[in-house]
Amino acid sequence: MPKTVKIYSTPSCVYCRMAKAFFVEKNVPYEEFNVQEDMKAREEMFSKSHQLGVPVIDVEGEIYVGFDRSAIAEALGISQ
Amino acid sequence: MYDLIIIGGGPAAVAAGVYAARKKIKTAVVAEAFGGQSLVSADVQNWIGTPSISGFDLAENLKKHLYAYREGVDILEGELVTGISRKDDGTFSLALRNGKEMEAKHVLLASGSRRKKLEVPGEQKFEGRGVVYCSICDAPLFGDKVVAVVGGGNAGLEAVIDLLPYASKIYLLVRSEPKGDAVTLEKIKNDPKVEILTNTIVESIEGQDLVTGVVVKDTRTGEPRKIALEGVFVEIGALPNSEFVKGLVELNGGGEVTVDHKTQRSSVPGIWAAGDVSDVIYKQNNISAGDAVKAVLNIYEMMVKGK
Repeated sequence: MPKTVKIYSTPSCVYCRMAKAFFVEKNVPYEEFNVQEDMKAREEMFSKSHQLGVPVIDVEGEIYVGFDRSAIAEALGISQ
Repeated sequence: MYDLIIIGGGPAAVAAGVYAARKKIKTAVVAEAFGGQSLVSADVQNWIGTPSISGFDLAENLKKHLYAYREGVDILEGELVTGISRKDDGTFSLALRNGKEMEAKHVLLASGSRRKKLEVPGEQKFEGRGVVYCSICDAPLFGDKVVAVVGGGNAGLEAVIDLLPYASKIYLLVRSEPKGDAVTLEKIKNDPKVEILTNTIVESIEGQDLVTGVVVKDTRTGEPRKIALEGVFVEIGALPNSEFVKGLVELNGGGEVTVDHKTQRSSVPGIWAAGDVSDVIYKQNNISAGDAVKAVLNIYEMMVKGK
C-alpha cells in the first residue's frame, strides 16, 4: 500500500512545485489542496502545522513544513 | 577518487559541472537542490539570453543542462556536504549528510548563500505565523491584509511586487534608502497601495497566535512607532553557506571565502570558490556562472600543466 500523501500549497509556491515534481518522479500518488482559495484546507493546514507557510506535506499523519527532499524521501521509505 | 567535486546547485555549480564534463574531468556535483537563490523569483529578467523566466523554470533549465551531461558527471541531488578535511597527500575527504564520504583531488565551493534573518524579538516565534521568508510562496495567503516588507534591495522590491495582487496595503521598511533596480522601484513607487518608510528599522514583531503588528524606529528621530499588520516579509540579504569549510579555508569578516579573482583559488591549494559563497562583490547569476567557469578552466589548466 502506498502511503497517503497530502500537500497544502499555493499555485505560485516554488517549493510546492519542487515537491510535486519529486512525487511525480518517484511515482508517489498525492492529494493537493490549494490553500489560497480553499479556506477549509487552510484551516486544516494551520491546525496540523500550527503555521501558515507553504508547502505543508502530510505523510500518513506526519507533518512536514517546507520541502526537504531527504526528509520526505525517508518518510516515504524511498531513495532520494 | 574524483578529480573534482563541485558543491552546490545554483548557476555557479551547474556552469562548473557543464564545463568540467566537457573537459572530461572526472567530476561529481553535490547539490542539495537546483536553482540557487533565484528559485523564488517570480520573474528573472537579467539572465542573459533569456528576456524573462521564472526562478522555478530557470532552476529546471539549470538542472536539465547539467543532467544533459550525466554520462560525464556524477550528480548527487538532495545531498549535502557537511565538512571537508585535507589529507596529508593534499587530497580532500568530504563528509556527507547521509554519513558517507567522498574523496577528491580538487574541490569547487559553489554553495551559495541563504537568507538572513532580522534577529529581533518575535521573529522566531511568529515564523510561518505572519513572518515570511518566501514571498512568492506565501503572498497569496495575505489577501486583503496589511503587510510589511523589510529590506530595500532587489529582493525586498520583488517581494512588494509579489504582494501587490493580494495585500490591501504594503509598507516597505528600509534601513536607509531603497537600493534595488530603478525599473522595479519606479513601479512600486507609483502604486497607491505601497508606502515606503526610509531610515526605518524593525525593533520587534508582536502578536498572539499570529502577527498583529511591528514596532519600528525612525533612525533619524529615534522615534518608535507601532504599525498594525498581519504579515512581515523579511528580505534583508544573505549569509554565505560557508560554515562547513570554516577553519579550513580563509573567510572574510562576512563569512565569505576569499579568492584570487583571476583564478577563483581560495587560500588552500586544491580548493576553489565561485558565486555567492565567495567574496565576489556583485552577487549575480551571470557573474556566478562566469566565475565558476573561470575556476574550472583554472583547475583544468592545473591538472594538465601541474601548476
